[in-house]
Order: sequence, then structure tokens, then C-alpha cells
Amino acid sequence: MSKVVGIDLGTTNSLVAFVKDGVPVVIREPDGNALVPSIVSADDKTIYVGREAQRRLLTDANRTVYSVKRFMGKGLDDIRDEARLFPFRIAGEAGGVVRIGLGEREFTPPEISAFILRELKHRAEAFFADQGEVDSEVDRAVITVPAYFNDAQRTATRDAGRIAGLDVIRIINEPTAASLAYGLDKRHTGLIAVYDLGGGTFDISILRVEEGVFQVLSTNGDTHLGGDDIDLLLTQQVLHDLESGSDSHVASGFSRTPEAVQEIRKAVIQAKWDLSEREETDLIVTSAYRKHITRAEFEGLIRPVVDRTLGPCRQALADAGLEPGQLDEIVLVGGSTRIPLVRRLVGELFGKPPHSELNPDEVVALGAAVQADILVTGNREMLLLDVTPLSLGIETMGGVMSKIILRNSTIPATGSEMFTTFVDNQTAVDIHVLQGERELVADNRSLARFKLRGIPPMPAGMPRVQVQFQIDANGILSVTARELRTDIEQTIEVKPSYGLTDDEVERMLVESFEHAEADFAARLLIDARNEAETVIRATEKSLRSPEFAAIAESELAQGERERIESVLAGLKMVLVSPDREIIQKWTQALNDATRHLAEVMMNRSVHAALSGRNITEM
Amino acid sequence: MTSQTSTSTLQVCRDCGGGSPIDAHFCPQCTKILSLGRHGDYFSFLGLPRKLNIDSADLEQRFRALSRQFHPDYFYNATPAERRASLERSSYLNDAYRTVRQPIARVEYLLQLEGLAPRSPEEAGKQVPPALLEEVFALNEELDEVRDRRANGAPPEEWKGRLERARVPIEAKRDAHEEQVSALSAQWDALVDRGAPQEDRRPILEALRERVLERNYISNLLAGIERELNA
Repeated sequence: MSKVVGIDLGTTNSLVAFVKDGVPVVIREPDGNALVPSIVSADDKTIYVGREAQRRLLTDANRTVYSVKRFMGKGLDDIRDEARLFPFRIAGEAGGVVRIGLGEREFTPPEISAFILRELKHRAEAFFADQGEVDSEVDRAVITVPAYFNDAQRTATRDAGRIAGLDVIRIINEPTAASLAYGLDKRHTGLIAVYDLGGGTFDISILRVEEGVFQVLSTNGDTHLGGDDIDLLLTQQVLHDLESGSDSHVASGFSRTPEAVQEIRKAVIQAKWDLSEREETDLIVTSAYRKHITRAEFEGLIRPVVDRTLGPCRQALADAGLEPGQLDEIVLVGGSTRIPLVRRLVGELFGKPPHSELNPDEVVALGAAVQADILVTGNREMLLLDVTPLSLGIETMGGVMSKIILRNSTIPATGSEMFTTFVDNQTAVDIHVLQGERELVADNRSLARFKLRGIPPMPAGMPRVQVQFQIDANGILSVTARELRTDIEQTIEVKPSYGLTDDEVERMLVESFEHAEADFAARLLIDARNEAETVIRATEKSLRSPEFAAIAESELAQGERERIESVLAGLKMVLVSPDREIIQKWTQALNDATRHLAEVMMNRSVHAALSGRNITEM
Repeated sequence: MTSQTSTSTLQVCRDCGGGSPIDAHFCPQCTKILSLGRHGDYFSFLGLPRKLNIDSADLEQRFRALSRQFHPDYFYNATPAERRASLERSSYLNDAYRTVRQPIARVEYLLQLEGLAPRSPEEAGKQVPPALLEEVFALNEELDEVRDRRANGAPPEEWKGRLERARVPIEAKRDAHEEQVSALSAQWDALVDRGAPQEDRRPILEALRERVLERNYISNLLAGIERELNA
């Protein structure tokens, strides 16, 4: 039987786990390493994922993508400020989904995430094959997301799974996944706070655990707050030191290339790690920069970032109707909770020391594996009851949001709203669906626009269209509608505001399914052939031109014409070759061989200004 | 096949066609989860009488037990119809739990069941309840003055204290209301217990309805003060 796994798709690292004989286990490389850096890189031929891609950050930063989770479910407008901070190219249409340049192609964030998921899938499959499993295929997964992810971000994650060839049997929240993993050790009963500060996101969830039911009472967070922000603060400080040249520790002549910035980022992350273990360290960027830094200085710098986690904690407590002191246990999740300042502030807030017996990098994947096991085996020992992190509503008159399902409602949840028409015989109604807590539409997240069609013609105000909103156990929305007087089911056209349509996901799946590299190479081969054909056509045209004989007589060197003809024949011969590099080599050779001819022809032509171009441009 | 009645106390299993009580979750004949076609109200769904004082530990216990019976997690391998039914039942359970758990939402729901819901949201929010006229008048004067002062650049310490003081009588009113609601709730529960006729229940419900309308109005006033404080 094919395998089902749990996947933690992180901002910085991703990993995969499964349940073996009732116990969740992380899948490791032979060297013991479980973490796959969530980095994707490309050269002309190959897509690299993980550690290899991470190395390429220092040599080919422009073609290496990291922290793609920050872009999931986002529009270009959301990330314009941030986009400048990344070495890779970020594009897309205004009001549409983000596109990220990777080499010569552009990908949506779900497609980039799919490369990471596919790598995890392959790893797991190799592991199962190694274990001598008859059917080692991994085709189903539970994937975790930050609890505070909105509908668009969750949907983007599910799309990424589908593009990677995985049936995503459940999306679960990272803090709740962690609580499941903790719940295995001991038979917990009581109130638990899970504080999850990862690479790019922050979540706080308050749970009540009783009789094996893990019931989330409230959740809050910030999907744009994590270790990345700390790295950025330090990186900017180093850049400032280097560029102002005021610092005596600094060698002059720094130039800000993407690779140099990545070199700094790498050094900064190392210093951050050091300071979780030691009181002081040296921040060393190759030989150009060295700076002594103490933990106190570091804490002073990052304090504002850590403080930003406290507001959501207080809100979650208030929403659960609890005082900080009422919680029985505080659990830390995410790599950034290794920072002593984080531990200290969390301890102060809740009035007790937080604990982290399980590896904070691995606990979420373990919980995802437990949830996968519950779904597939029908194991009823535990049950996770999660909530929707944000209120769901619709736009009403005056640009105000009317809430239909309130935040912290246990999911699955439903809500409904009645609509009618404003003019006689109106047969369609537009509905704008939003998520967020603010009063005004403009301050909330636009999820989708719907058009209700097929309303029977009636006088204005007569139709009674009931629109039902359903949030499923994944926290993902679906909408149905019915006109109550006629009992006619309405058709709904969904236009996700920042997502992919089902057709787009299907197409990406077909394009990439298990053929990512071949597909990529095939596309580049086609490009190379097209270019070769252009050069061939231009050369042949010149050779046939009326002026050519005269030029060959007077201006071409001995054997130049023969050389052009032989290279032309050579390129035509390799044109059908599957080797893109040979085609490109011969294309270049023909360009070189015809350069002089092109110059001569240009000089003779009326467009004398066009000198210096090669033959393809004539 | 069992006879299919259409009385409101029965629901019909779509799988085997068997009839089952309106508040059953699984078909007594074929044991399959019932789709949520015809169902009772939140109270009967949770197996509770239509009463207003609820033991919260008992409610939590019922919620967990029912969640364990029909959460979608436990129907992953089931047929599409059963999965659908599990999603519908779980959603309804969660809605019921959320409503019944909160005292005011519970009263509002009961009023709706008994046909005494406010006729429109406008009625619930806009019209000043006569019992609150005095407080509302005083508060509006105070708010106007605070806005004036702020517009004239008065420092926050000068007007924040006034807002805090303006809040006190409103909060006292809210507390008094809570007591009234709980006294009326106890009366309602006693009527339900002894199976009192409709004409005896009606005045209690109407009194509750007045209190709920006033209560919503008080909440809006307090929210208004909060907004001014944070402005």
C-alpha cells in the first residue's frame, strides 16, 4: 500500500515524517540530517533543491529562491516593499498572483513550493525503498501551515501539494500539530499555550486538552514575523557599516552584489546561532568584515522583533477568556525559540518557564505524521479540534465588512447570509468575500469575488438567495447558494483574488508532474532551436541576396564564404540534436562567422546607422 | 422498508430509508451517520432541554463526545455521502456549541426559536430603548465635549479621565442587566420544568427580549467609549 506522510513546509527548512508502529518518526538522510533547506535554485539545465540550492545562494543568488512561504497566497501589491530585499526577481500583474523569476522561467509561489515538496516526496520514497517496502510510493500527505494563514495562503499550500503530485489529505496548523506530538509522551490534561516562532511566521495557540481531545480555544499571530526579520536587521547593520566605511574593522571597497549580501546573511545567521549558546561572538564576513558582538547588544537590537509577538499572545489569551497564569504548560516551537531572549520574555509573560523537550525544528512534522495516521488508520485515540484564525465576511453597502463566521470559531464551521436584488428582473448578484477583523473592506483581505447567476427574474427585493459559507477542517472556504422561493441552486463563479484557478493548478500539475527537470530542459532546448533557426534563416537570406556576389568578390576575405557555408551546414545538421549546448555552440559559431559579412552588408545598405550588428538583425 | 413519515419528529436515513428520531445522529437501523436534512434545534442536537442555565462542564463534555462521534477526521475512508454528512453534522455541532456556550447568544437563540427575535438588525441596534434614554443623553453630551476638546488640542490626560468616568454608569447598567437576565432565565427554566403553558411563558420571553435589546445597545455604547479612548 502506498505511503502517507506528514510534511512541515517551513519558511527556512522543510521536513517529512511518518508513523511507524504507532510512533511518529522523522525521515533522515544517512548522515542524520532531516532538514531540507526551503531553497530552490536553477541553472540552465537543472533545478536544485535544499542544501545544493543553499550553496548556490553564494554563487548565483539571482537564480536562487528562499523564503518563498512569505509569498504564498500573496499579490504583487502585498509584497512590493519586501521584494527589493530579495536577490531573485519578483514580478506579476497588479492585482494578480506573484511570480518569481528562476533562471529564464517564471514560477508562482505554489510551483516553487512544489519543487520542495517533490524533493521531500522523493526522499521519503527513497527511504521506504531502502527499508525494503514493496510499495514505496508516497502519494498522500498532511501538510502544515501557520495557524494564522488566511484562506488564500492555505489554498496556495494545498495547490503546491497537488502540483507536486501529492493528495493533500489535510492542512493542519503548525502549533496544533506540535501539541499533538507533545500529547504523545504524556497524557496531558489542562490548558496549553503553543508559542511558535519560525523563520518567517509567528503563531500563538491556546488549547484545552481533555480525554484525548485537543481543542483550540483561540489562535493569533503574524504571518510576517520570524527569524528572517532578525537576520534582516543584522544584515542591514553590517551593510551600513560596510558602506559608510566608518568602521575601522572594515576593509574598504565593498560592492553590494546579491552574492555579497548573501555572504553577509550567512555570517549573520551564524552569529545569531552562536549567541544562543554563548555570551559573545565575532561576526565574520570573509576577510572583509569582523565585528565583536555580545548577547546584550544582540538582544537590544532584536528586542522590537520579539516584542511584536507579545501583542498576539495577549489577544489570544483574551479571546480564550484566560489570564496568563491560568495556563498549565507553555510549549515552544520553531527554530527562533532557541534565542534566550525569546524564552525569557515568554516565561515572563506566562509566569512560568516554557518547555521544549522535543526538537523545536522537528516537532511540527511529527505532529503532521500523527494527524496523517489518524486520518488513514482511523486511530481514535486523539482528536484535533482547531479554529479559524480570522473572521470571514462579505462586503456590504458603504465598503463595510459584515462578519459571517467569527474568528476562533471551531472548524468545520458554517455561516449563511441572505441576498436579494436591487432592480426588477435582476438575475445576478456580485459578492465580495473577505477575511480579517477590521471594519472597512479596504483594511481586510480580499479572498474572492463571486457572481451569483441564474436568479429567476422577479421584482426587486423579492428573490431570497441564501449563500452558505462552509469552512472545512482544513480551514478552507467553499460557497454554495440557493434561491429560496424557487429552490433553485445558483451557479457561482469564483475568482480567487490572489490564487490560482483549478484549471491553472491542473495545468501546472501536468507541466511539472514528475517531469520538472526534463520539462525545464525541453523548454530550453526548444528555445535554443528557435534561435538557431533564426540565425540560419538570416544567413541564407544574405547568401541569396542580389548584392552578395558583388560583396563576395570585393570585400570578403579568402575562404570566408566557404567558412560561412560550412558552419551553416554544420548548424543545420546539429539542429535536431537533443543536446542544447551543441546547438548553442554552433549557433554562436555561425554568428561569429557571419559577423564580418553582416558589417559589410550594413555599411552598404541605406541604414548606415545600424553598424556593429550581426546578420540576424538585418 | 420502514414507513417514511414526514412528521417533524422524524428524520429518514438516506442510506437505508429507515426512520429515526429527530435528534439522532446515526441511523438506528443501519448505524450509518445521518445526513443533516431534517434536524432539531441546537438544544436538542446537543441532547439538552430548551433551558437557559447550563452546566458548562456538562456542555463541554457533550461537545467533546459528539465531536468524537462525527468529526470528519474519522470519516476519511468513508463513502462521499458519509463524509458529507460528517462535515454537515460537525459544522452544525460547532455552531450549536458556540451559540449555546455564550449566555447572551443562548438567550437570543432561544428568542429566535420561540419566534421573538428582533424583526431586523436595525431594531436591535439603532432605536434607543426607553429605559436607557437618560444614560444615552448624558453620554452623548459627554462624548461631544470630549471630541471638541480633543479637536482643540487638549492633551489626552485631560479627556481620558472623563471618558473613564462616563463609562462607570453604563457599566453599572450592564451589570444590573446581567442580574435581570439571570433571574428571568431561572424563571424560564422553572416554567419549562413544570411544563407551563404558552401564555405563562410568553411574558418571560418578552421581558428577556427587552433586556437583550437593551443589552446590545449598552454594548454598543461601551464600544463607542472604547473607540474614543483609542482615537
